[in-house]
Amino acid sequence: MPKYVMVIDVEKCIGCMACVIACKKENNVPEEYFRTRVVEEVRGEFPNLRMELRSELCNHCENAPCIDACPTMASHRAKDGTVQIDRKKCIGCKACILACPYDARYSHPKGFADKCTFCDHRLKEGKKPACVETCLGKSRIFGDLDDPNSEVADLLRKYDSSVRLEFAGTRPRVFYIKKKFAGGM
Amino acid sequence: MTEITITGLNAITHPYLEVWDWRIVIYLFLGGLSAGMLVMCSIANLRIPKQPVEELAQCVRAPLIAFIILAIGAQFIILDLGKPQSLIWGYLTFQPLSLMSWGTWGVPAVLFANALYILAVIPKADRPKLRFPILINLSEKLAPWMRPIAKLNFAMGIFLGIYTGVLLSSFAAIPLWNNATLPILFLVSALSSGAAMIVIIAKNNDIKFLFTKIDIWLIVAELVIILLFFYGLYTSTAPYKNAIAPFFSLSDEHFIFAIALIVIFLVLPLALRIKLGELKEFEGGIHTEFTKSQIFRMNFAASLVLVGTLILRAAIVYAGQLTKLSPY
Repeated sequence: MPKYVMVIDVEKCIGCMACVIACKKENNVPEEYFRTRVVEEVRGEFPNLRMELRSELCNHCENAPCIDACPTMASHRAKDGTVQIDRKKCIGCKACILACPYDARYSHPKGFADKCTFCDHRLKEGKKPACVETCLGKSRIFGDLDDPNSEVADLLRKYDSSVRLEFAGTRPRVFYIKKKFAGGM
Repeated sequence: MTEITITGLNAITHPYLEVWDWRIVIYLFLGGLSAGMLVMCSIANLRIPKQPVEELAQCVRAPLIAFIILAIGAQFIILDLGKPQSLIWGYLTFQPLSLMSWGTWGVPAVLFANALYILAVIPKADRPKLRFPILINLSEKLAPWMRPIAKLNFAMGIFLGIYTGVLLSSFAAIPLWNNATLPILFLVSALSSGAAMIVIIAKNNDIKFLFTKIDIWLIVAELVIILLFFYGLYTSTAPYKNAIAPFFSLSDEHFIFAIALIVIFLVLPLALRIKLGELKEFEGGIHTEFTKSQIFRMNFAASLVLVGTLILRAAIVYAGQLTKLSPY
């Protein structure tokens, strides 16, 4: 079984927001809702400033609090290890939205909880997630960490990586690599 | 200085969480109130001698009122669901780690035990009021089991009272809620509100006075636990310390929480003061009927407790969603 992860090379993000748009288009995300976002963090005092552009999305945590919080198993771990939502089973109690420390979920206007799926429908067709495919700076890299020859495995071997809110103990599957800049998450 | 601009925000989670609202507050309040009433009327009914069992239930109307309160409270959580038509899925599984799942199964279980209690405590003379022969027969059969049913309802009340707090404290992503003091605080405030409600509805002087005395201890415990709750968060790490800031800020955004805390620390001690006055007044026991003014004072103090409990729950539900583990 693959272990899908996303590696985000923060230096390569140019802030074009194409990933945000591609995600909305690919997944029919309703107006005013988003499954992924881009954070622009500027630090320091003018003129001594530094900036980091960082993509954020569902971390498909290995220890996912949203799955624990769900009363109906609508939030579940799929066979490929990603965290998915069964819309039919979701009762819209919003417990998963509160449980997620990354604010990755939202309440869909139709009542169910929704979030990034790593474009599981595309993965089944052998394609990469829409945000990865469209990323102009090649900042988003996706692949199987269990495959030692994959680009993600190579990047995580070569560079120090971090995850968001590591102290929360959720073991995210979205990794950030920063070659020079050390910004906070 | 750090400046953060985010593209792709969802209003439900940014700039702060707007996930659970007044419907959950009412659910937690009514659930706690019902839990407290079940515990308190079980105490009242278990105090009586073991034999004979028939006709000895002292707290007769409280189980019925607790049932109605919980049934109404449960409607508010259903009202909050985005897809209530899918609720059946909650009853096709039990998820031990999901507090919502505990509630899905627990609330109907409490209602069931409560229904048995209602039937078990109905006095013989009032049974015809049940109208349906099946209920009258059931009531006759359950009456001798009043004590075990009262014990079951005591346990169910404790479960429900703690549950309302554990439901919130299970969210690790919400620093204000995620601590072990909150379930105890909610349990004690539920018991206190239950005792207050029984003081209001009781017709029997002894019962009214008994729960006035019990509530004194519960109010003292609640005030101490509120202080410990804030102290525990204050001495914790940054996100937890930040989580209590709204209660101590007079900014436009957080003013309401500071007011809520001030009101809680006004109404609960005031209720305590009135109740202590009653205790002194009836030091030598109750020998005559209460006067209208004495009953008004008792009911007023009990109403203050109910107001304090509601404000406490509302403040914690709303303030909790202002602070997250994440810095933005």
